[in-house]
Amino acid sequence: MDEELLRVENVTKKFPGVLALDRVHFELRRGEVHALVGENGAGKSTLMKILSGVYRPDEGTLYYKGKPVVFHNAQEAQRAGISIIYQELNLMPHLTVAQNIFIGREPLRFGGYIDDRQMNRQARELLARLHVDIDPTTPVYALPLSKRQMVEIAKALSFRSEVLIMDEPTSALTESEIEELFKVIHQLKQQGVGIIYISHRLEELKHIADRVTVLRDGKYIGTYNYGDVTLEYLVSKMVGRTLEHKFPPRTSSPTGRKIFEVKHLTRAGVLHDISFELYEGEILGIAGLMGAGRTELARAIFGADPKDGGEMYLHGRKLEIHSPVDAIRAGIGYLPEDRKLAGLAVEMLLCENITMANVEEISSRMGVIFPLKERKVAEHYVRELDIRTPSVYQVVKNLSGGNQQKVVVAKWLFRKAKVLIFDEPTRGIDVGAKYAIHRLMDQLAGQGIGVIMISSELPELLGMTDRILVLHEGRLVGVLRTRETTQEEILNYAAGLVSALS
Amino acid sequence: MVVQRFVAISALVVLFVVFSITTPKFFTVQNVLTVGLQTSTMAFMGIGVTYVIITGGIDLSIGSVIALSGVVAGLLSRAGIAVWVSFLCSLLVAMGCGMVNGLLVTRLSLPPFIATLGMMQIARGIALQVTGARAVAGLPEKFGVLGNGALFRVTTLSGDGRQVVTFPGIPYPVIIMVVVALVFNFLLRRHRIGRFIYAVGSNEEAARLSGIDVHRTKIIAYLVSGVLAGLTGIVMMSRIVTAQPNAGVGYELDAIASAVIGGTSLMGGSGTIAGTMIGAFIIGMLRNGLNMQGVSYFIQQIIIGLVIIAAVAADRLQRRSER
Repeated sequence: MDEELLRVENVTKKFPGVLALDRVHFELRRGEVHALVGENGAGKSTLMKILSGVYRPDEGTLYYKGKPVVFHNAQEAQRAGISIIYQELNLMPHLTVAQNIFIGREPLRFGGYIDDRQMNRQARELLARLHVDIDPTTPVYALPLSKRQMVEIAKALSFRSEVLIMDEPTSALTESEIEELFKVIHQLKQQGVGIIYISHRLEELKHIADRVTVLRDGKYIGTYNYGDVTLEYLVSKMVGRTLEHKFPPRTSSPTGRKIFEVKHLTRAGVLHDISFELYEGEILGIAGLMGAGRTELARAIFGADPKDGGEMYLHGRKLEIHSPVDAIRAGIGYLPEDRKLAGLAVEMLLCENITMANVEEISSRMGVIFPLKERKVAEHYVRELDIRTPSVYQVVKNLSGGNQQKVVVAKWLFRKAKVLIFDEPTRGIDVGAKYAIHRLMDQLAGQGIGVIMISSELPELLGMTDRILVLHEGRLVGVLRTRETTQEEILNYAAGLVSALS
Repeated sequence: MVVQRFVAISALVVLFVVFSITTPKFFTVQNVLTVGLQTSTMAFMGIGVTYVIITGGIDLSIGSVIALSGVVAGLLSRAGIAVWVSFLCSLLVAMGCGMVNGLLVTRLSLPPFIATLGMMQIARGIALQVTGARAVAGLPEKFGVLGNGALFRVTTLSGDGRQVVTFPGIPYPVIIMVVVALVFNFLLRRHRIGRFIYAVGSNEEAARLSGIDVHRTKIIAYLVSGVLAGLTGIVMMSRIVTAQPNAGVGYELDAIASAVIGGTSLMGGSGTIAGTMIGAFIIGMLRNGLNMQGVSYFIQQIIIGLVIIAAVAADRLQRRSER
């Protein structure tokens, strides 16, 4: 079983402005589960896409069963026997299980008719190999997520795949579904399939992983036999670096005056009894793995999602928030994770976006907008926040990511928000703009605005916040003082290895 | 959109010049006013549907609402109610249709296509039912004033004592068209509601998270479309001094065409009243000029179809080359 299936050597991949992979090694043997771990942005996705033929490496060679190969697209890799199962599955819900497995390759009878009986029989055989009980004639929409994943695996097997790449396969599964998945993975191992397993949930690797490769910032850190290392060691390898001066100095500091308070916030199945406080001058971080409930917490506070319980207080006054309108009236602003999807109308003008949450302020009682007033307001914030734009009449989509983010900030400043929730404020923004956004957050905190920052980047949380809330599966598991904590400690809390509360 | 607008304006100018040269009586005061008159109803509908399309919706019920509002006005007038009151009532009915469309789209979150498709059948059915599918004729003379009257009509007495029209005057529908275009252009560009409409169409989630009342905004857009369809119905029926329950079949497509030719995107978020007016005039002028040339109605259909495709294709090609 030690036969080598797939190997890459010195693979390098550049994107405009980013070195996504820098001379990375990876090797997969027949019948092993090889886990690939690293923080967000470590290069896992890029490597995965190179192995599965989606990207081609700028440098380095891919060896498949000992021979150098070049895949031009994912279909070529799949035909050769390398299949990938993405986190968001790629099935057509209204087709049956068998139709999905054989899409585009349906067994035909003479005359070109699809031989349904043959197709269902072959599908049944494939599913039997996985020891799962699924009727191939069921439409996929009628299956739970875990079963759909099995269908994807069966589809991969139908290509006689010898390499299976799984991206965060357990992120949406329940405990028992995960167990079922692991059984199937064991089956596949015994059949000689090599599996590349990508997961944020380090603790689950112990059930399946044979070896682990760690990437960090696009660099190869090392490959370890799973039995030889501890989780804490892996975490330290993933995090590795020490903080450089990537962050502006904090000029504000918590005064001890409470601005905002959340008590027992609950949303069934998503958020469980979350309570915290936010002080004047403070930047409060929220950490957690994907699916831990960070964005959900922000949306619940903001009234964008329903709540099942809990209370909120702003400057001691109890808030009744049932919709974003209520939250905005109360003085809470939310800067969503995906600016383009939820934060900005990118086809509209810069000035129109800045005034969007407070059009009343630039219009008469009858609703007539004063263009001159709008321009002055927009120009004020363009100066104040140093937004780089030729004019306030620029269409927002033509601005850079950092400047777009500043427009969203300007929108909430113009609305006189008292609490601002930044959800992944610097994702997809280049380094210089990050610095500017961070400095802006510090200034806002200094002006007495409550700043909450959700981030997947631990260095960002450590560099900018005063305290960090750590969420795990919808629960608040730790409140850490930033000055006294480390990336390792945060990750341990986030992975559910330790819990200080509840 | 900018490109499309440029293409549309050029097309309008070219059309005007070509028809003026090739068709002797095209560029006369009388005919220019006729074009204006014929375009006015298209403009009303087009402006209304532009509001809806900018929010990302569509209104297929326009043609039926035209018939319903005309019939309501006709029946009430014939029953002896003052003409202006019956007009007002029919506008309210049309507004009601728009209101229902808006509620279906927002409260029941029906796709706009389905909601207004249903309304298209319902409004038409009501119009046919209440009239027994017969035209409502025998209407008071005043019923025809709105569609046939004109401002500044100049008549002189000729030598033999007959009245001669020296200037036909500006038809009331043309005046209403100008007023409607200016008002709704103002609302869209300079009023909060216009800003909300663009925001909702451009990014509904961002608008919602900015505290904009998305439901209310959409309902208003459907209300505008409904009330302008009602106005179209009144003007159309007034011109022929008869209320036809069969009128307006398929007119919603002309309305959508004028909006789209004028640069309104069916994806929502963009579109202007000026553009829609240009689109309406292109279609109106094409119909008029081709008629005068003696081109058959069927060929006209083909040409208008080509114009719609060409106008949008020009925009798409431009966008592709930008990438």
